[in-house]
Amino acid sequence: MKKFILFLSVVAITNSIFAQKKTTTSATIKFDASTSIDNLPKAENKTAIAAINTTTGSIAFEATVKNFSFSNPSMQNHFNGSGWLDSDNHPTFIYKGNITDLTAVDFTKDGVYPVKTEGVLTVKGVEQKLSTPATITVKGNSVVAAADFSIKLADFGITGAPIDGGKVAKEPKISVTAELK
Amino acid sequence: MTERVKKKRPWLKRILIAILVIIVILAGVYWYVATEKFSDTKDRKADYTVSAIDFIHEFEKDQKAANEKYKDKIITVNGTVSEIEAADTTMNIKMMDTVSKSIIIFAFQEQHLSEPKTVKVGDPVSIKGSFSAGIFSDILEIVKIDFKRSTLNKK
Repeated sequence: MKKFILFLSVVAITNSIFAQKKTTTSATIKFDASTSIDNLPKAENKTAIAAINTTTGSIAFEATVKNFSFSNPSMQNHFNGSGWLDSDNHPTFIYKGNITDLTAVDFTKDGVYPVKTEGVLTVKGVEQKLSTPATITVKGNSVVAAADFSIKLADFGITGAPIDGGKVAKEPKISVTAELK
Repeated sequence: MTERVKKKRPWLKRILIAILVIIVILAGVYWYVATEKFSDTKDRKADYTVSAIDFIHEFEKDQKAANEKYKDKIITVNGTVSEIEAADTTMNIKMMDTVSKSIIIFAFQEQHLSEPKTVKVGDPVSIKGSFSAGIFSDILEIVKIDFKRSTLNKK
């Protein structure tokens, strides 16, 4: 009986060590919708929330739309306006997904691990499936998750003359980096 | 016939000048808008000065009203550094309500990116920034209030 209790204790302790939810409130998301005729529609958000469960492989991001910082005030106003992201009514971008090949990552061993992810991205209240390759870098207790992908603005109901006129890219590039502890 | 042309010419000239003036004005407006930059937050006057804990409580009490009150405002927040967190190649400063765990997080303006390195956890600080929004995070289950283009006020 004592051995059984000892075994359960070891299992519980091991799980508590490795079944960790790692988080950050300083994930960086870069948005680049610039084109050959306009280099202004690009911005960066450095205060996104990110979380990863190293046991289940679930990942999540949450970014405040109004904290995307543009160099140009007019561009930032358009980005948040009701015709575009409508950030007063849809204040966050949300991604919830999973690492689909979790066995490719050894969270106990330092290294760089290419992975595949699948999930749902919510922008302006519209949900779209998103599958993208990503990189997991394990270094000691920290995990750095990074991914580059693009989205189609029309998929999220974002349309308008600047897009049709080539001033804003139809498929902006998104870069995500999160150091999770 | 020659007299008629002479009479019409002044009007044609005026129309051409007016079109030219409109084109120059539009080009000027476009140039101004396209090259406009956000001014240095350090040079801007704060619309509000608040204590970090009171500010957090305001959002915990009524998020919608607080977001409306502080929308697009420059705010000075006085509080204690609870964490200095890496954000890619830069650093953010956080202030936390240790009871509710809700936070204020400051991303710094490009010309002030080195300022978070001059403080440490536990330091009382005064930070001025451009308020973005306060949200309830479903991931962390706390209130998180974001600032961009922040700068440290002199100690």
